[in-house]
Amino acid sequence: MLPPRPGLDMAAGYGWVQSTAIRAGELVFVSGVVAIDAESGERLNGTLTSEAHRAFRNLRLVLEAAGSSLERLVQVRAMIYDRIEYDALNRVYRQYVPQGPPARTVWSVRIIDAFKVQLDAVALA
Amino acid sequence: MPVAREIIEPKNEKLNVSRNFNLPHSPGIRAGDLIFLSGMLSTDPHTGERSPGTMAHETRQTLTNMRHLLESAGSSLERVVKLNVLLYDMLEFENMNAVFKQFFPVDPPARTVCGVQLSAGMKIEIECIALAG
Repeated sequence: MLPPRPGLDMAAGYGWVQSTAIRAGELVFVSGVVAIDAESGERLNGTLTSEAHRAFRNLRLVLEAAGSSLERLVQVRAMIYDRIEYDALNRVYRQYVPQGPPARTVWSVRIIDAFKVQLDAVALA
Repeated sequence: MPVAREIIEPKNEKLNVSRNFNLPHSPGIRAGDLIFLSGMLSTDPHTGERSPGTMAHETRQTLTNMRHLLESAGSSLERVVKLNVLLYDMLEFENMNAVFKQFFPVDPPARTVCGVQLSAGMKIEIECIALAG
C-alpha cells in the first residue's frame, strides 16, 4: 500500500527498507507506526501519552487508505519502551478501540530513534 | 462481502483475563480463516489469578490455557501457524523449549523467541496465530 500522507513514507523520508503496509488477500499488515508528523515526517518524540495518540492517528490514516479501519484491527503488537508505562498506554489505547478491541500483546522493548511507542498491526481489509 | 471479524473467548470465564482485569484487548479475534490470540501469561484456570512459578510451570500452564482458548473457538494447538514467545531472560530458553517439545512433538509451528520486560514478575508470555477449525 502507498503511504496516505507524505510524512508517513518512511522509505523516502528515512531510508527504511519497508512498505507502509502490505495487503495480502483479506488482511492488511502494517509496518511499525511511530509518532511522526504525517505531513512533514518530522519525529514528534514526547511523552508516552502524546506519542501513543500520534501513532494511533497515523495508524488510522494507513488503515483507512487501505480500505480498512481501527474497527477492523485483528492483532496489535503495542511496543513500549518501558513496562512502567503500561497503564498510561492502556488509557490512550481504549479511546481508539473502545468496542471489541483487537487481540494484543504489549512488548516492552527498545524502539528506534528513542520513540516510546510503536504499533505493529494486522487488520482485515 | 467483507470477511467476518469475530471475538474469540475461552469457555472457562476464569481465563478471560482481558475482561477480568479490565484490559483493552480481546482474548482473540477470528479473521476469516485465521485466529489471532493476545499474549497470554500463566493463569490459574480455577481462580483466574496469575500463576507464577518456574519457567517450566509457567510455560506448561500458558500452553494449556492456549489450547483451551483455541479449542473454545474450534481450533487446536495442532492448527497453530506462528508463535511469538517473550521471555523475561533468555537464559531460560532451554527450560521453555523442553516444555514446547511436549506440546508440539511433531511439525511444530513457526516461532520467534525474544527476551523482554514482562508484567508482574511473570517469566513468559505467548501469543499465536492459528488456522480456524
